[in-house]
Amino acid sequence: MAIAHIVRKFDEELDRIESLLLEMGGLVESQIQKSVMAVTGQDADAIEEIFIAENRVNALEREIDEETVRLLALRHPMANDLRAAISAMKVANDLERIGDYAKSMARRALSISDETAVLNRPLESLSRMSEVVESMLKDVLDAYVARDLEKAHAVWARDDTVDSMYTALFREMLTYMMENPANISAGTHLMFVAKNLERTGDHVTNIAEQIHFLVTGDMMERAMDATQHLGGQDG
Amino acid sequence: MKTIINEADPSVQKDVKIKSRDVNVYYGQNHAIKHLDIDIQANTVTAFIGPSGCGKSTFLRCLNRMNDTIDVAKVTGEILLDEKDIYDRDVDPVQLRAKVGMVFQKPNPFPKSIYDNIAYGPRIHGLVSNKSELDEVVESCLKRAALWDEVKDRLESPGTGLSGGQQQRLCIARAIATAPQVLLMDEPCSALDPIATEQIEELIHELRQDYSVVIVTHSMQQAGRVSQKTAFFHLGDLVEVGDTDRIFTSPIEERTQNYVTGRIG
Repeated sequence: MAIAHIVRKFDEELDRIESLLLEMGGLVESQIQKSVMAVTGQDADAIEEIFIAENRVNALEREIDEETVRLLALRHPMANDLRAAISAMKVANDLERIGDYAKSMARRALSISDETAVLNRPLESLSRMSEVVESMLKDVLDAYVARDLEKAHAVWARDDTVDSMYTALFREMLTYMMENPANISAGTHLMFVAKNLERTGDHVTNIAEQIHFLVTGDMMERAMDATQHLGGQDG
Repeated sequence: MKTIINEADPSVQKDVKIKSRDVNVYYGQNHAIKHLDIDIQANTVTAFIGPSGCGKSTFLRCLNRMNDTIDVAKVTGEILLDEKDIYDRDVDPVQLRAKVGMVFQKPNPFPKSIYDNIAYGPRIHGLVSNKSELDEVVESCLKRAALWDEVKDRLESPGTGLSGGQQQRLCIARAIATAPQVLLMDEPCSALDPIATEQIEELIHELRQDYSVVIVTHSMQQAGRVSQKTAFFHLGDLVEVGDTDRIFTSPIEERTQNYVTGRIG
């Protein structure tokens, strides 16, 4: 990356796509954080902000798509530039989906704000789960900027933790609902929130795989099949 | 790591047509090609890319001994065509060039009729025994060069009267008239418009069925479109050879990456 293109405009266009993507990443990161706080009752005012951010996130995704299509058509990027262009589109798509989950969680926060008091314990589990997902999202965005393969692999591996936390939370919630049918309404909402967080983790994992492709030129799943264990020793 | 970048590794060979080993070319003091090893596969289009002066055309010209005509040029090492060194004393360069045809950057038809442009090679190499055989060769070569329909009613008109793209197809027809095994093309489309370029590219695609094609091109898009293998040259070194899609999506060598992405020229 150190060497600039002979055509300087090409660098500017690639940089612009990258900075749009980072703006999108930052917004989505705070959306997830705020939506979980809204659900756990720590920040009820955040809901409005999440909805506003959602519009900006969608607009950014469209802009990234347009800029990338233009770049592909006019600059014919090759090698790492080509991979950066393709990755930008795919990562933007994953980020947009994560933004959708944040919005969906914010909606649920509205419905359950009165009823969660009885569900303190599962809310704690939910917070713990969201801490992991948020840190994964933050790390994957850092790994993207730094083209840090090791960090991307580490994020990828952490998704297992999220999956098991989700399974545990599901059981916990079920117990509370069986104990007291009054918990069913809030419990169901919280279960969907947990599901949204779990799906967020999956999209973060996609981004990690995309970083693997961006850096190495190989598809991560294929690389994983070949080695049968996590990388980190590449290069 | 080095073994991956030059696929002249015996384990990945399949039907190698031309094999070069430790080839060096000197133009006087200038060491233009340095210790070059490459395997060129049969029925494959191999593109040579690299900035001006990198040695790609020089090396291409070694493959049918065109450098013999340059006094100061000295070629060392081995270039084997079907395992036979083309620089051996018993190899006649004229016979060699019938087997390894060449098409140049600028279309250069002979100042003769369209018919005679094609007929010249088969005549001097004694490949035909009578006029009707010659007629057949001319027709089939023009057909394979996708030019027949455009010229069949004026075979006696001068080749130089055709459009640039037609002239280049005529030169390709002329090159295949001596039944070569390898076709060398030195920037065959650089003087042509986009439509004529596409016609030549389509033709290269067809020709691959019967010949090994080696093409020098300044257009990386063209290399991507027509070739299965790409070799990147820089300052007389063969930096990297590999499947074309790999070279343009994830080259191994940094120099290749910098060139194909437009960072060094």
